[in-house]
Amino acid sequence: MSWQTTLADALSDGVDVVAWVPDRRLSPVVDALEERVRVRILTSEEACVGYAAGVRAAGGMPAVLFQSSGLGNCLNALGSLAVPYGLAFPIALSMRGTLGEENPSQTLLGKSAAPLLHALGIQTFSVATAEAIPVLVQGALSLARGGRELATLLLEPELDRA
Amino acid sequence: MNAAEAAAAVLEAVPEGLFVASLGTATSALRRASGDGPHLYLGGSMGSALAAAIGVADTRPERGVVALVGDGEVLMRAGVLWSVAGIRPQNLLVAVLENGSYGITGGQRLAVPTAFAEVSAALGLAAASAGSPVEAAERARSLARPGVLVLSVDDPEWPGPSPFVDPPVVRWRFESAATAVAGG
Repeated sequence: MSWQTTLADALSDGVDVVAWVPDRRLSPVVDALEERVRVRILTSEEACVGYAAGVRAAGGMPAVLFQSSGLGNCLNALGSLAVPYGLAFPIALSMRGTLGEENPSQTLLGKSAAPLLHALGIQTFSVATAEAIPVLVQGALSLARGGRELATLLLEPELDRA
Repeated sequence: MNAAEAAAAVLEAVPEGLFVASLGTATSALRRASGDGPHLYLGGSMGSALAAAIGVADTRPERGVVALVGDGEVLMRAGVLWSVAGIRPQNLLVAVLENGSYGITGGQRLAVPTAFAEVSAALGLAAASAGSPVEAAERARSLARPGVLVLSVDDPEWPGPSPFVDPPVVRWRFESAATAVAGG
């Protein structure tokens, strides 16, 4: 079973809807989720965060999936909507710019992803093995639901080499 | 028409609606028009109100949902209008307060064509414009969903109480209103 299937299984147990911006590594996750939960493809990472905040405010539980390269696009929605309003949900970031990256335009935002999130008070959890996924996703969902904290899962490149 | 009158007209047309108001003018106008009703008032996150309203509409398909948004707000993330057309929430009305300026920052002109109705129609959305409260209420009632109603606002007076809301209070009141069982 691929890590993508494991992630889809874990998310489908507790999430009503997934909002995402396309990414090659995330595509299999979304394919596996599509029959079980609503999937919304949106035009920017910020739209995903805004959409998810609306879902959460109306009583649902969303998850958001996109590349780390798009994180900068949604800092305003995180910092002045999701975090202050306590509209919390898991975010799964497909990491670019770290181990194995060959595109120089990706490295700076990859390295900055966790520090940017930490600056906003958002916790990050590194996901480097498929075995860790169920526990991390359930923990992120509990943190979002009960703790009202956004929880970011950093989907590391090592996942692809198992 | 001022922004509070426009908001009041839409409230009258969608009395049980869940409203999402963008920062600034829209939030102050809706606070005034609804007597501070339990709506999702945004104090920041310019460009995210319409996306949030789609999320509310998806989650509460049995409820009428209104995005009350400024024109500058829509322009900041205009791509979301394309998502309204792609997703087509059957319960969503987008009410654009069109005054041609950025109200909360001091009224600077948008300096772009404000063709919200034309763009919406080109995207296959129901679209209409209103220049008075009577027209606004009538069109908010009759327009198909998803629909975009452009409300021409020509009164520069600030429309209501402070747009600086207390986020956890807003969230708690809205979530309670959104998840309440009808008649319960």
